[in-house]
Amino acid sequence: MPASAFKSAELVTFPLSQTMLHFTTSGTTALATGHHYLDTRALYDASLLAGFERLFLDGTKIARMLTLVPERDGSSLRHMLLHVSASLDLGPERNFLHDDALDVTGLLDAVADARADGRPIVVAGTAFAFVALLDALAADGGDASLPPGSRVMETGGFKGKSRVVPQPALYAELGAAFALPTSAIVAEYGMTELCSQYYDAAPRPADPARARLKIAPPWLRPLVVDARGNELPHGTVGMLKHVDLANRPSVLAIQTEDLAVASAAGIVLLGRDADASLRGCSLDVEHLIR
Amino acid sequence: MSNTSSADRGALRRVPAERIVAAIADAAARWADADFPPRVRVQARIEKRLRYTTPVVDYALDALFRSIDAASLRAVIESELGSLAALDDFVARPNRSHAHARAVGNVLVIASGTTIGVAIPATIFALCAKCDVIVKDRSDGFVAEFFETLAQERPEFARAASAVTWNAGVTPGADNRVLFGWAQAVVAYGDDPALAAIRAQCTPGARFTGFGNRATVGYLSSVATADIDDVELDGIARDALLYDGDGCLSLHALFVERPDRTFLERLGAAITRVAIEFPLGDVTLERRARMAQAHDHALFNAAIGKGAGVPADDGRALVHLTTERPSLAPRVLSVIGVNHVDEVGELLATWKLPLEAIALSAFEKSSDAHRFAEGSGAVRVARFGTLQRPALTGNHGGEQLITPFVRWIERA
Repeated sequence: MPASAFKSAELVTFPLSQTMLHFTTSGTTALATGHHYLDTRALYDASLLAGFERLFLDGTKIARMLTLVPERDGSSLRHMLLHVSASLDLGPERNFLHDDALDVTGLLDAVADARADGRPIVVAGTAFAFVALLDALAADGGDASLPPGSRVMETGGFKGKSRVVPQPALYAELGAAFALPTSAIVAEYGMTELCSQYYDAAPRPADPARARLKIAPPWLRPLVVDARGNELPHGTVGMLKHVDLANRPSVLAIQTEDLAVASAAGIVLLGRDADASLRGCSLDVEHLIR
Repeated sequence: MSNTSSADRGALRRVPAERIVAAIADAAARWADADFPPRVRVQARIEKRLRYTTPVVDYALDALFRSIDAASLRAVIESELGSLAALDDFVARPNRSHAHARAVGNVLVIASGTTIGVAIPATIFALCAKCDVIVKDRSDGFVAEFFETLAQERPEFARAASAVTWNAGVTPGADNRVLFGWAQAVVAYGDDPALAAIRAQCTPGARFTGFGNRATVGYLSSVATADIDDVELDGIARDALLYDGDGCLSLHALFVERPDRTFLERLGAAITRVAIEFPLGDVTLERRARMAQAHDHALFNAAIGKGAGVPADDGRALVHLTTERPSLAPRVLSVIGVNHVDEVGELLATWKLPLEAIALSAFEKSSDAHRFAEGSGAVRVARFGTLQRPALTGNHGGEQLITPFVRWIERA
């Protein structure tokens, strides 16, 4: 099923009236919104929590979570972070991004509290929020260093809300700002249409700039396919298809426009074409800064 | 320090406008020949850069250079300035004081990443206005080659016109600061953030003309749909297939009053015919992925009774009957069924699709369709099949052609 089909139809394996969770994609009025309906929280929550604990925390015990994510109704990311926070007893929600504006003072105060406490924490946010934080720190200063052992989860893209920073540079700057090794900064890759998420595998210390592999829990299998849907051999660039067994309430196999390369150890994401943009006499801002 | 203005220093300052026009027309005529060696060289580089096939690039170069002739250049200048003589000296004007249309100064043209030769029309009118021009061009060197031909026609062009290859951005950098400081007028093409970034670099007094990204759509009333012949259907297909949807004059969506399956199949057959002449280029994997997604999405929608998908060109293209925003994927022509032309404007507003042009059928008898087209916000209303051959005299983006490059000097 193409991911875009979630914008055209209610793709469910149960009567829609039994919906317990309803997530929506972050579309604009110009673009249709995708809907993902689930008949139970249990499967979704179990899937996301298991992935978060095993692939992201990897045994790290954390005391609290600070987030920099949009407060949008229907956001699966926000649901995920709230559920993780509640399940791991990380205290009430502490989000510092409101209407795309970052509460830098509030965040730095919370980070200072965490430093005083000394136990590791998680800071989770979108790439554009992290860029905004870095810009604010560069302009106004401030101590964002986290307690040792803390981790940072970067999720989502820039979506035209900030300058675009290549991932290695972003992670290097975040590492410096948070006083963490870049290996403690992990990208999460999820979709509203999926019940499970991918995370970066631990980067190779000898080659930190190398593209990071994404790994998935055992019930989420990535397939790299050609335009006709045929699976491609490892090492070949193709389109990414997800087979997520946790998607029992909707569609198990979802075809995306994302390009990826598969290997025995995971996948490398290569991005996608600009989102349905007009090209016209085109010169886009990314060309300008490239 | 000299108090001579940059307009007085122009290399073309002493060349009569009529001779500039003649030289440009002669150079364009040489480039209109597909065997002209510089064109042959450039064509290969354009194909490599843009991944279009040879016939597509040929079409673009033919359309561009065959539109540039002395009569068209003169027509524009006389229409906007009153006469060619106004570019050379003070001229009398009815009920107004004598005036001279002097060069505005130096002109910087920042060329597009995709549209073939988009910088050429603005550049030649800036030269007609006797401005010195620098074009920031892409790596195929197209503009630089054309300037060499101009210099062969008249040596003054060698000093008046130069092209620099695009390198690493507009915003920071000493080279860019020098360029923007040099320019009294800047012409740029791009999306809104790109234009904003470029505009921010201009000096406060510089004139700025920005050409934003635009869409082109077509409309067919039920009467026109019934009367349409294969020649015009081929024209629709050509408008859609050329440049794989990249140009602002590419047909991005076709609104049709109550389309039926027969129409979709006839349109699919036309796309298959035209794709033989203009095959799909070597599009990037990213765009192939978008195409595949659009195809699968269309076929899924058809399966659930929402619209229809008619494959064409052996599956490499698709006619997609839909009620959704056009996918803008290469070789996917979105056909949007409407009950009345008034719905078209509402949909375009909802989808936030700014228009460059709108195409109508030669068979279009609906006065409502013509009324809508003229009030749609599009700056060009054309017949199907002619979208991708704009006249040099047309007002791209609704802008004047030579006026941005002159400054009137009055003599009471």
